Amino acid sequence: MQTMTLTQTCAMAILQAVAVVIFIFIVVPLTTFAERKVLGYLQDRLGATRIAGGHTGLTGWLNRGMWRMGKVPFLSIVRGLPMFIGDIIKLLTKEDIIPTKADRAMFIAAPALSMIASVVVFAAISFYPGALFTFPKGTPILGGLPFQGFITDMNVGLLFILGIASVGVYGIVLGAWASNSKYPLLGGLRSAAQIVSYEVPLTLSLLTPVVLTGTLNFNEMTRKLATEMPITAVPLLFVGFFIYLTCGFAETNRMPFDMPEAENELVAGFHTEYAGMKFGFFYLAEYINMIVASALASAFFLGGPFLLPFGLQKYIIDVPFLGKPNVLWFLLKIFFLLFTFIWVRGTIPRYRYDQIMAIAWKYLIPFTLVLVMLAAAVRYAA
Amino acid sequence: MTMNKMLKTLIPIDIAKGLYLTGKHFLRVFSTANRRKVTLHVCSEYPEVKATVQPRFRGRLTLLKDEQGEIKCVCCLACEKICPTQVITIESGKKEGRKTKLPVRYDFEMERCIFCEFCVESCGFDSIILNHQFELAAYNREDFSIGMLGRSQNMFELTPVADFSHDRS
Repeated sequence: MQTMTLTQTCAMAILQAVAVVIFIFIVVPLTTFAERKVLGYLQDRLGATRIAGGHTGLTGWLNRGMWRMGKVPFLSIVRGLPMFIGDIIKLLTKEDIIPTKADRAMFIAAPALSMIASVVVFAAISFYPGALFTFPKGTPILGGLPFQGFITDMNVGLLFILGIASVGVYGIVLGAWASNSKYPLLGGLRSAAQIVSYEVPLTLSLLTPVVLTGTLNFNEMTRKLATEMPITAVPLLFVGFFIYLTCGFAETNRMPFDMPEAENELVAGFHTEYAGMKFGFFYLAEYINMIVASALASAFFLGGPFLLPFGLQKYIIDVPFLGKPNVLWFLLKIFFLLFTFIWVRGTIPRYRYDQIMAIAWKYLIPFTLVLVMLAAAVRYAA
Repeated sequence: MTMNKMLKTLIPIDIAKGLYLTGKHFLRVFSTANRRKVTLHVCSEYPEVKATVQPRFRGRLTLLKDEQGEIKCVCCLACEKICPTQVITIESGKKEGRKTKLPVRYDFEMERCIFCEFCVESCGFDSIILNHQFELAAYNREDFSIGMLGRSQNMFELTPVADFSHDRS
């Protein structure tokens, strides 16, 4: 591979960032749509099938054909897709109210902070260890250069991800405080306590793969976890996966742990005073956090771009197609985990606040500490 | 006791059970909703997709004919006698070349019918059934008086389905 000039590096970074943002803005609306449908199916309903409105005008035009689509098995699943166009139009055209006594600067900065913190994490996430494709020779600046499946290949990738991801809580707390209202503040404080508590078992559960592989580099870790693990590491990673997933639910404020926005206790939690696209940013941030949590879980515990997790990949490494890493497996695992997020939301009711804290401090942290010790033992033995 | 509780927290079997249950419901709806070939739907969109009913569903009373196109009814009046709301009125007559009697009038007042299926059970000749029709709404009261000769609906054919259904197959 030839060395890149500064212009080439910048152009490549911008292109990759745009690709990631496009990926996010395709997957997030699809997730919100899937959330409606899957929750409906879990409760023996059909979910969204069309948008509210008349037979004429924009809504009528968007709803056109929805009735006939219901008769075709495949199309009947994707019916209601006008919903996400409707969602975006609604969020963009809503009146954007800032309360008079709110702290203006903070009020505006908070959603941006929470959004940026969740998007920047993608800088260190690797979708594919290597080049996805190579630009043809004739391309103006980037001719002959490979388009990598990751933006940066940091030595401390995991540390970077954890550090940036925990900035997201500032967005929630600042937004809650800047609203100058009771319920948002309560929601924000709860969120702060919850996320700070769950940060510990989350990091500890990610420490198991770190100890087993002995590196913090994202690509290295994914490869070693899929191909070079001894058989004794399988139960550790299996248990670690579930612990990580539990903490991931708590970190992203999803259903069994959605303390910051418990509707029946705190109006709408930290975003009670937010409207329009500012609320939209919080909403987006939550879903992007979900994608990040699923990406990390699938990379470190489900094998990432390799087909089989837990070091089982080494048995099929010589098979022509399945043995090679493929970006498809990674995306499939992410989508399955996103489905799991919705599935769990439709199944488990919200825990009480003290129960959430008890789970984190009394069970998850000691358990993950034991796991880390066992991982060290496995590493020492291997 | 505390040991038990701790084990329950560490190995969340109840959560797995819940996930299994909701997953089962998800798959059931996912594989049957709106499918034409599935006979019984967990849920489907009724006006667009034709609704299916259980085999024992009790719909509108219908007179049957045999293979030669002859009315099976022999005017034994068992259905008229057993009917709790007395909605059936039969007038018997004779026809050349037929040994038994046959109805010249068979009036059915659907307005008062309670769809109890006593008439069908009492019939010794299997000459009446309750069909699987449930879209029986009509605009006029007179339309609920069904006879053998009615133009829009009669005792032998299905009631024409009103315009609110999108599937008339």
